[in-house]
Amino acid sequence: MSQALTTPPAVAPPRPWKFPESTTTATRVGTPVHVFDRPGQYVATVRVTIAMPLVAERRDLEGVATIMSRTLDEGTELHSANEFAAALERHGAAYGVDVSSDALHVEISVPVSQLAPAVKLLAEAVTRPAFNQADVGRHVTIRLGEINQERANAGYRAREAFAANLFDPSSRRSRPTAGTPDTIRPLTNVEVAEFYRNNIGPARAQILFAGDATGVDVAGIVDEAFGDWTSSAGPVLETPEPLYLLGDRIVLVDRPGSVQSQLLIGCPGPDRREDIWGAAAVANHVVGGTITSRVDTVLREEKGYTYGTRTSFSAPRKGGTFSLGGSVRTEVTGAAITDALRILREARDGLTEREVSESKDNLIRTAPLRYEQADSIAQQVGSNIAAGVPVDFADDYLAQIAATTAESATEAYRRYVGANGLLVIVVGEAKDVRGQLAELGEVKELS
Amino acid sequence: MPLTYPIAEQTLDNGLRVVVSSDRAVPIVAVNLWYDVGSRHEPPGLTGFAHLFEHLMFQGSRNVQSGQHFGLLENAGASLNATTFFDRTNYFESLPSGGLDLALWLEADRMGYLLDAVNQENLDNQRDVVKEEKRQSYDNRPYGDSYERLVRLTFPADHPYSHMTIGSMADLDAAAVEDVHAFFRKYYGPNNAVLTIVGDVAAEDAFDAAKRYFGHLPAIPQPPEAPDGTIGPIEGVFRDDVVEDVPSDLVTMMFRLPVDGTPELDAAALALDVLAAGQSGRLNRRLVRDEQIAQSVSGGALPLIGGVSFGTLTGIASDGIDLEKVEDALVDEIEKLAADGITADELATVQAQAERDWLEQLATCAGRADEISHYALLFGDANRINTRIDQIRAVTAEQVQAVAAQWIRAEGRAQVTYRRPASTEEAAGEQE
Repeated sequence: MSQALTTPPAVAPPRPWKFPESTTTATRVGTPVHVFDRPGQYVATVRVTIAMPLVAERRDLEGVATIMSRTLDEGTELHSANEFAAALERHGAAYGVDVSSDALHVEISVPVSQLAPAVKLLAEAVTRPAFNQADVGRHVTIRLGEINQERANAGYRAREAFAANLFDPSSRRSRPTAGTPDTIRPLTNVEVAEFYRNNIGPARAQILFAGDATGVDVAGIVDEAFGDWTSSAGPVLETPEPLYLLGDRIVLVDRPGSVQSQLLIGCPGPDRREDIWGAAAVANHVVGGTITSRVDTVLREEKGYTYGTRTSFSAPRKGGTFSLGGSVRTEVTGAAITDALRILREARDGLTEREVSESKDNLIRTAPLRYEQADSIAQQVGSNIAAGVPVDFADDYLAQIAATTAESATEAYRRYVGANGLLVIVVGEAKDVRGQLAELGEVKELS
Repeated sequence: MPLTYPIAEQTLDNGLRVVVSSDRAVPIVAVNLWYDVGSRHEPPGLTGFAHLFEHLMFQGSRNVQSGQHFGLLENAGASLNATTFFDRTNYFESLPSGGLDLALWLEADRMGYLLDAVNQENLDNQRDVVKEEKRQSYDNRPYGDSYERLVRLTFPADHPYSHMTIGSMADLDAAAVEDVHAFFRKYYGPNNAVLTIVGDVAAEDAFDAAKRYFGHLPAIPQPPEAPDGTIGPIEGVFRDDVVEDVPSDLVTMMFRLPVDGTPELDAAALALDVLAAGQSGRLNRRLVRDEQIAQSVSGGALPLIGGVSFGTLTGIASDGIDLEKVEDALVDEIEKLAADGITADELATVQAQAERDWLEQLATCAGRADEISHYALLFGDANRINTRIDQIRAVTAEQVQAVAAQWIRAEGRAQVTYRRPASTEEAAGEQE
C-alpha cells in the first residue's frame, strides 16, 4: 500500500529533442519538396505553400486572393466542382486552403495508403483550376454572407478594429485579408483568373509532406503530380515594411446586445528577423501566455472578471504585433482595462529570474508536444517558409529561448510593449461601457 | 484490419482501472482520467455541478496550493486541461515523460483530497469565472443558445440529456459549499474512474507509478447510476422559432439516435454524414452549390451512452432567401434518404472520411489516451480503439437506410429557427 506524498515528486530532465529532420528534393520544374518522415503518423499532410503577398492585390479588388484560393477546387480543367469533391473525399482526404498576408497554403490530409491519387487531385486544384463564373459568383455571395457573420462576432470585430487602428491606412494589413463588401462585389472569374495567372506558379511554391513515409516514394509521387506545372507568373513582389500608428488611444465599437466586452489591447512587436523573437516569447509567457501568468492571475483567478485572457507576439514576414485579448463582464470593463494596462506597463520594470526560468522551461519542454502530429509539422514549416525563415527555424527559436535571461526578456518586452503607447479596442454595449472608459482617456467611438 | 496499438490493463485494489499503451516514438507521455460523472448524473437543482468541478479541480487540494497544479505542470512542459460532457468529465495532461510521476501525484492528490481546498472563497471566484464562460460561449454569440433550445425540445424535461453541461446559473448561485462537497464525495473516487497512460514509458513502470500514487486512496461507496435515458425516436415535430438580431437566418434540427456503441448508432452517424459531411455531402451539393439557397450546411451525430444519442442538421440561408426554402430542402433530403437509401459510393466515401478522422484522433498520445479512457470507462473495453475502423467499415447501406427510416425523420424532429426581425432586414436593404 502506498502512502500519500505531501510534496511533489521530482521531474526527471527531458530527453534532448530537435525539430524533425527533412529530406529535400525538387520536382522536374524545380519546386522544392521537403519530406518529413514520421513513422506512426498514418495520416499524412501534404501542403503547398506559395509566396503570395497580399500587396499584389489591387486596392479596389482586395479579397481577390481569397476568392481565388477558395475556387481552386471548385472545378478544374478535368472535373466539375461536385466531381472533384467526390473524388477527393472518396480517398478519405480532407482539403483546405489558407491565405495569410504573405502566402497561400493549399493542403490535404489523407491516409498514407491513398497518397498518390489524393496528391494528383491536389495538384489538379493548384495547377489547373477552371474558375468558372458560376463558381466564382457563388463564392462572392458566400463571402458577403460571411462578412455578415463576422460583423456579429465580437472577437472578429475587435481584430478588425485593431488592424484598422494599429496600421496606417496605406498598409494592406490595416484592412481585412478577405476583403470588404465594396471590393468583393465587383469580382468575376476574369479578375480571379488574372490574379491566378500573375501570382501562382511553380517557382513561387514549396511542397511539404509530413507523415509515415515507410515504403512510399513521396518525392516521386509529388513529382509525378506537380512535375509539369507551368506558369506565366513573374517574380514575387517584396512585401513592404508596414507603417504603424502609435500612441495611447481607446476605440469603442458599439455592439448592441453584448453581455460582455471584448478587449484587444496592443502595439507593434518584433518579427522573426529580429534575434529577440525567442526572448519576446519568453516575456509574453510571463506576462499573459498562460493561466498562471501575471494578467490572468489578477483578471481571472483573483477578480473573476473573465473566463480567460491571453497575450501573444505574432508576426508575418515583416512587422509584428503584441496583443492582449479576452472578454470581460460589461460592468467591470473599465476596471479590467485599468488592471490590464497597469500589469502590461509594470512588466516593463522587470521580469523576475524565476518567472523567466519557468517560462523558458515550459516553452522548451512543450516543443515535442507541439510537433507530435504530422499536420502540426506541416503547419509550422509552411508558416516558416511564408515568413522567409529556414524550415527548421523551430530549432533556432528554441536556441534563442534557451539563451534568454531575465534581462534580455525584459529588454525584448520593453523595446515594444508600451514603448510607443498602447491601443485599446473595446467591442461591447456602448451605452453601458462609455462612462467607464471616459475615466481612462479620450474615446473614439465606432458603430 | 484492426489497428495494433498495445493495450495493457490492471485494476488496483481500490477499484481504479488503469490502462497503459506504450509508444516510444516521441519522448512524451499523456495522462488521462475519465470520471464517470457528467451532466446526465446531475439531479434537478444541481445542474452545472460536474462542470463546476472542472474549475475547482484546478484550485488546489490537500498538498497542492491554489495555482500550483498549473504552475508545476507547465514548468515540466505540460499541456493540460479538462472537459465536461453529458456522459463524463475528463482531466488530462501531456508532458515530457520525466514528468509522469508529477502528473500522477497531482491527479491523485485532487482525486483523494480536493475538498481540503474547496472553500467559500474559491467557490465564489470560480462561479464568477463559469458565468463569464457561459456569457462568452453561449450568450455573447449569435445562435449561442441553439443547443440549449434543441435539447429542451428533443428530450422530456426530466431526461438526463435535457440540460446542457454548463447548467443553470440559478442552480450554481444557490449552491452552498456543503452541496459542492457532497457532490464530490458521491462521484470522485478511484472506483469511479479510468486512468490511462500513453507514451514513452514501459507498461510495467506505468502500472508501478499508478500504484505508487493512487494505491492508497480509499474506494468510495458505489455512486448512484445515472437515470436511465432510454427513449425511442421523437414522435412529432417540436418547434422553437426565435426572432433575434442574427447575422443570417438559420434553421437547425435535432433527432434522437440509437445509443453509442451499437452498429445502429454507427449507421445513423454515417447517414448524417452522407447528408452533411464534407463538400460532397448531399446538402452541400444541393443547397449550397446547385440551388444556392444556403451559405453553409453542417451536421453530424453526437454519440451518447445513456440510452439514446442525438444528431443535428443545420442550414444558414443565403441572403434574400426565405428560410422556409432551406427548411423544405432539408426535410426533402431527409425523406429521400429514408425512402431511397444511399449509394455504395456514398457509403464508401463517408466510411473513408470516418477512417481518416479516427486515425487523426489517435495520431497523438493525448488523443489516443482520451479514446482509451472513453472505451474503457463507458464500454469496459479499451481495445475497441483498435477495432473501431472495422466496425465502421462493417456498416452496410441497408443498415444506414433502416436506421434513417426509423430515427432521422421529417415527422420526428426538434427544430429551432432564428430569423431577423422584419425591420432589420429592411434597414439592411436600405444600405444597399
